[in-house]
Amino acid sequence: MNQFPGSPAGQPLEASFRDPNGFIFSYEGQIYRQINLQYQENYSHLVDSGLYDALLKAGLIVRHEEVNIPAVLPDRVYKIIQPDPLRFVSYPYEWSFSQHKDAARATLQIQKTALKFGMSLKDCSAFNVQFHGGRPCLIDTLSFEIYQEGKPWVAYRQFCQHFLAPLSLMAYRDMHLSQLLKIDLDGLPLDFTSRLLPWHTRMVPALLLHIHLHAASQKRYASAGSMKLDSNRQVSRNAMLGLIDSLDSAIQRLEWRRTATSWADYYRADHNYTPEALAHKKQIVIEYLEKIKPGIVWDLGANTGMFSRLASERGVFTLAFDSDPGAVELCYRESRSKNEKLLLPLLQDLTNPSPGIGWQNQERAGLIERANADAIMALALIHHLAIGNNLPFDRLASFFRRLGRWLIIEFVPKDDSQVRRLLAAREDIFYDYTIESFEHAFQKKYLIQRVEQIRGSDRRLYLMEGR
Amino acid sequence: MFSFIWMGLLINGIFLSAPSKNPPLYLDPGSGSYIFQLIIAALVGGAFVVKMYWSKISGFFRKLFNRDTDDTQE
Repeated sequence: MNQFPGSPAGQPLEASFRDPNGFIFSYEGQIYRQINLQYQENYSHLVDSGLYDALLKAGLIVRHEEVNIPAVLPDRVYKIIQPDPLRFVSYPYEWSFSQHKDAARATLQIQKTALKFGMSLKDCSAFNVQFHGGRPCLIDTLSFEIYQEGKPWVAYRQFCQHFLAPLSLMAYRDMHLSQLLKIDLDGLPLDFTSRLLPWHTRMVPALLLHIHLHAASQKRYASAGSMKLDSNRQVSRNAMLGLIDSLDSAIQRLEWRRTATSWADYYRADHNYTPEALAHKKQIVIEYLEKIKPGIVWDLGANTGMFSRLASERGVFTLAFDSDPGAVELCYRESRSKNEKLLLPLLQDLTNPSPGIGWQNQERAGLIERANADAIMALALIHHLAIGNNLPFDRLASFFRRLGRWLIIEFVPKDDSQVRRLLAAREDIFYDYTIESFEHAFQKKYLIQRVEQIRGSDRRLYLMEGR
Repeated sequence: MFSFIWMGLLINGIFLSAPSKNPPLYLDPGSGSYIFQLIIAALVGGAFVVKMYWSKISGFFRKLFNRDTDDTQE
């Protein structure tokens, strides 16, 4: 597993180069953060003021311990800390609407708490937030600086670009626009967002202020670096609190507009099964999981997470991937309401998985680089990939094998009503879509350990172990 | 209603108060955001103070009302 690519032991990670105050590095298979001398005063204030403890208690920052190991750059080192390891690093373009919204509100809560302790966030990148134990928390311990009353919030623009802009586009235009964050790693430019938002959003005071007027003022005052500013003008503490409060209200009011087509089907998930067949399928999956006892499961095509929960409710950290933002949203909402700590729903199109992006394609890792599963679940999925996307069985077997050792996979035969529906509007060119070809192709990569036919159905569930 | 009046004044402030003679060749959105906060500081700060006082006043009356209800029940 390599969640942070390009990191020889004892070297700063390829993705960790922007902040002069410190960097992440790996050492003997563990992840550490070096804090440089220039950040000493801020780090001491974070810990000594009680801010770190307050954020930790609220579950808003990742826990860390100060450790004594060799520094990567000894002439600059102040301290080395070891943060709690993350089970999986996810990115904002993989989050559902509510995940992004919760990450935004957590960031504002952190800023509000920081001000109480005389500090302020100097970075507001959505990439600094990770879902840890089911809830969003800040992973960049070096994001704080000592607050100077009167000074504007240096991370205001970044907050608007990373949170308010994508969320407002998702709420007022389309859920898929979260994918724009793959193009602009420092968030969506506000002039661009202002142009894409419907005109009537100018009637929403918070969006008029923080997006439209903000964008216009950026353009107007862009050259103000050289302009002499009126030194009497300040942003008081109340103004700073007002700014945060206004942003929080703006975020809070943004809601996902449900589309009838996408939501209608979720409640009828697995409608192809009789209650008896569904119960039997669950029973077989549970038996397989109990046999292999995985540490991490990736459920591919998880829909709203019905089968992912069979794993997470048994103490297994489970990633529930689906390509439909609606399914991921519903899965997250249920997970949040049940306070599920071991289930992480994420948006992922398996036919076009998240690529490695940023500087040297290494700042944000691609999906396959982050593969860390012990077991892959691919239930009611194979026909979508093989028939819906013309993917041959041998390529699918290779792909699944790259992601993890064990595979729980359901074969859906051609005469199944779901497959017939896929073939209804197209010519059947899938002569190899047979159970024999499926087994033959997968046996090149896997040993078939068990096969069970689902009662009252022609579908089969396989348990395979990677060769 | 008040928010729209505020907005009107603000738009005036942003677009009419400081003339922009030469469009810049190099655009730095960070500087714009910085100055924008100085311009909107009074608006958001004022709104925040009003909101705080309003919640205190409404909280006071809510308590008073609840106490009256409790007294009646006794």
